Amino acid sequence: MAKLLNDDVTKQIEEAFAPMQEAVEMMFFSQKNGCQHCADTQQLLEEVAPLSDKINFTIYDLDDDADVAEKFNVDKAPGIVLAAKDGDTVSDYGIRYAGIPSGHEFSALIQDILLVAQRDSNLAPETRDFLKELTEPVLLQVFVTPT
Amino acid sequence: MVQAEMVSAGEFRALSQQYNVSGVPQTTVNDGAATVVGAVPESNMVAEIKKIIS
Repeated sequence: MAKLLNDDVTKQIEEAFAPMQEAVEMMFFSQKNGCQHCADTQQLLEEVAPLSDKINFTIYDLDDDADVAEKFNVDKAPGIVLAAKDGDTVSDYGIRYAGIPSGHEFSALIQDILLVAQRDSNLAPETRDFLKELTEPVLLQVFVTPT
Repeated sequence: MVQAEMVSAGEFRALSQQYNVSGVPQTTVNDGAATVVGAVPESNMVAEIKKIIS
């Protein structure tokens, strides 16, 4: 299959990933039936993952690995989870992608990988104070149309 | 406590219709408790979340 990322883009991402300090767990959830963009998304992530030795890429099936999907609250395919990985410990930062991250969303994916690698959200101090006080879960679903 | 999910509107049309997504980006908070249209500053997003949890 032809590569999705050309040499220029690959080089740019490699350079962006170079300063990565900490490891990132990139989990991909596929589904066997009726998933239009699962194959494309998996290929995209398979091209991104080798661009940094700090990325640990794992592949799951929504049905066959229902326990993992449930643990990480993934109910759509293609689904992506970006988490922090320290040794054998995976820390969930609540970052999910449902659907193929192409176009603008591809930039967001790369930025999110970098954020997780630096273990810092870059959020304002007052936002952090507010989030610390949360007692009930908050689910934000950002609808986008990747172009 | 916080989960943030990008949802590709074209791939998940039923969900997009459920939340009346007409323009993007559109953010749905807690399954429709609040809706934020457009790419808003961080403080606005926080303000919308505050409204529904207090």
